[in-house]
Amino acid sequence: MGLRWFHFALWGGLIAGMFLLPQVVSNGTLRTMIFANYLAIFAISWDVLSGRTGYVSFGHPFLIGIGAYTTAILTKRFDIPVEISIPVAVVFTMIAGLLVLLPALRIRGSYFALVTLAFMELLYQLVQVIRPDLTGGTRGMSGIQTLTRGAANGYYLSTALMLAIAVSMWLLMKTRLGTALSAIGMNEESVRGSGLSTTRLKAFAFLTSAMIAGLGGAFYVHYLGSLAPRALFDINFLFTIIVAALLGGTSTIIGPMIGAFFMTFLLEYLRPVLPGAERYFVYGAIALLLYMYQPKGIVELVKRGFKNLSKGRTA
Amino acid sequence: MSAALQVSGLVKRFGGLVATNDLSFSLNEGESLGLIGPNGAGKTTVFSQIMGELRQNSGTIELFGKEISALSTPQRIRAGVSRTYQIPRPFGDMSVAENIRVGLMPDDIRRMIFSPPDTERERELALSVGFSEEDLDRTPTELAMGDLRKLEMARTMATAPKVMLLDEVFAGLTTGEIAQISDLIQSMRKDGMTFLIVSHDLPALEPLIDRAIAIERGTMIAEGSFSDVMNDKAVQASYLGGA
Repeated sequence: MGLRWFHFALWGGLIAGMFLLPQVVSNGTLRTMIFANYLAIFAISWDVLSGRTGYVSFGHPFLIGIGAYTTAILTKRFDIPVEISIPVAVVFTMIAGLLVLLPALRIRGSYFALVTLAFMELLYQLVQVIRPDLTGGTRGMSGIQTLTRGAANGYYLSTALMLAIAVSMWLLMKTRLGTALSAIGMNEESVRGSGLSTTRLKAFAFLTSAMIAGLGGAFYVHYLGSLAPRALFDINFLFTIIVAALLGGTSTIIGPMIGAFFMTFLLEYLRPVLPGAERYFVYGAIALLLYMYQPKGIVELVKRGFKNLSKGRTA
Repeated sequence: MSAALQVSGLVKRFGGLVATNDLSFSLNEGESLGLIGPNGAGKTTVFSQIMGELRQNSGTIELFGKEISALSTPQRIRAGVSRTYQIPRPFGDMSVAENIRVGLMPDDIRRMIFSPPDTERERELALSVGFSEEDLDRTPTELAMGDLRKLEMARTMATAPKVMLLDEVFAGLTTGEIAQISDLIQSMRKDGMTFLIVSHDLPALEPLIDRAIAIERGTMIAEGSFSDVMNDKAVQASYLGGA
């Protein structure tokens, strides 16, 4: 599908709306939205790789962790300014992305997912035992430089980053490259049979996904100001990213964004009612029901809603 | 002048099973060759080796005089040989036009990003195999088997092959659809396309080929005109059950 004027109008409306939001909502809501923005970045990163090509990554916290740890160590231990540490963190994450790519050249499906999961667990173990003086070991790191002060500034920064990533990925995926990556997810053999090197395409998807994860991870740690390995390399964090992408609708850019906001606010609004881990049962049930009813996610529900509306009008 | 496709001494073993046994044949430019044999004779295995989806144990495959055995499948396609599959393999969630678009894509990420799709060529290819304008936006789930074969043909043609390998191109088609695909192949032959065609539908195959080779258990048992091959005793014994 090509680019249409209303696509740009919708993006323009969304961008304007998001930047005007601090005028009308509380700081508490803004803080929730900051988390939603970072979750959206991670979900977009996952979607560029897994939603498109069908190579389901269970190792995204590994990539996010590389980005977060690299910039945290560089700034806190070596006093390197963030202007340098963040780009270095992104490059390191992309190199790590190539490591994840290697198994994908030979395996796919559940085997690939398990290998990537092993990467996450490996990094979790490594940061605790290798140079804990740098990584902070099991306790992680605190007192990491933050980039903004106050909820509104944190919100503007995370929103700008998330929207910049979302719009650039949306434009990229609207090109023939996006079509080719989606085609890999549908039938990789047919893509090769159409004369395209799937290895090169997959490498591009892995690098792009890693770049976004690294960027998100680096900015996230400079928002939090601290880093805890148990929270970062956590299966719940991994599933939150995946479920956000699946709920919203994979192979779209807006889907993972919607999924991330839906999940973050759902969990936040459930907090007063269900303060413990029971909240995850509720979100799990909603995710399951939605996925059974509409595997293409919320985006497809919205699309169908609009189609039905326009049919109703023309009837 | 070198042959369009020259297969020499091709051998493929799967453990103790010899799937292709010292097979040699050549295909001249603009010629159409039928590859026939009973189920399990190894016809598709030959296709897979020519395309590089399977690597032969020994033997050579030359395309217009150039040895292509070391090339990957995408490289062979860029060199000018392309195939269709016995079971069509469309991209299920994409429209007919997008399916063809994948075949038209350059194997170059920068050009994929910065140059727009050639929608006019997509349309031309779709119409040339018998799709209508309305079909361009349809997805494979909405298409009948005959349409899926046409889509497979269009995507293969999009890679601009000089030699096309058609695998069981009539399987599962109605009489009308067979006639449609046959007309398409005939018109492409007139335009100079070189074909290697596998089909169990011998009456449909006969008018589409200049000559035929028959194989059994990976070994060539007859070669010549269609009638010579069909009258061959070994072919009748193996392929037609001695009829």
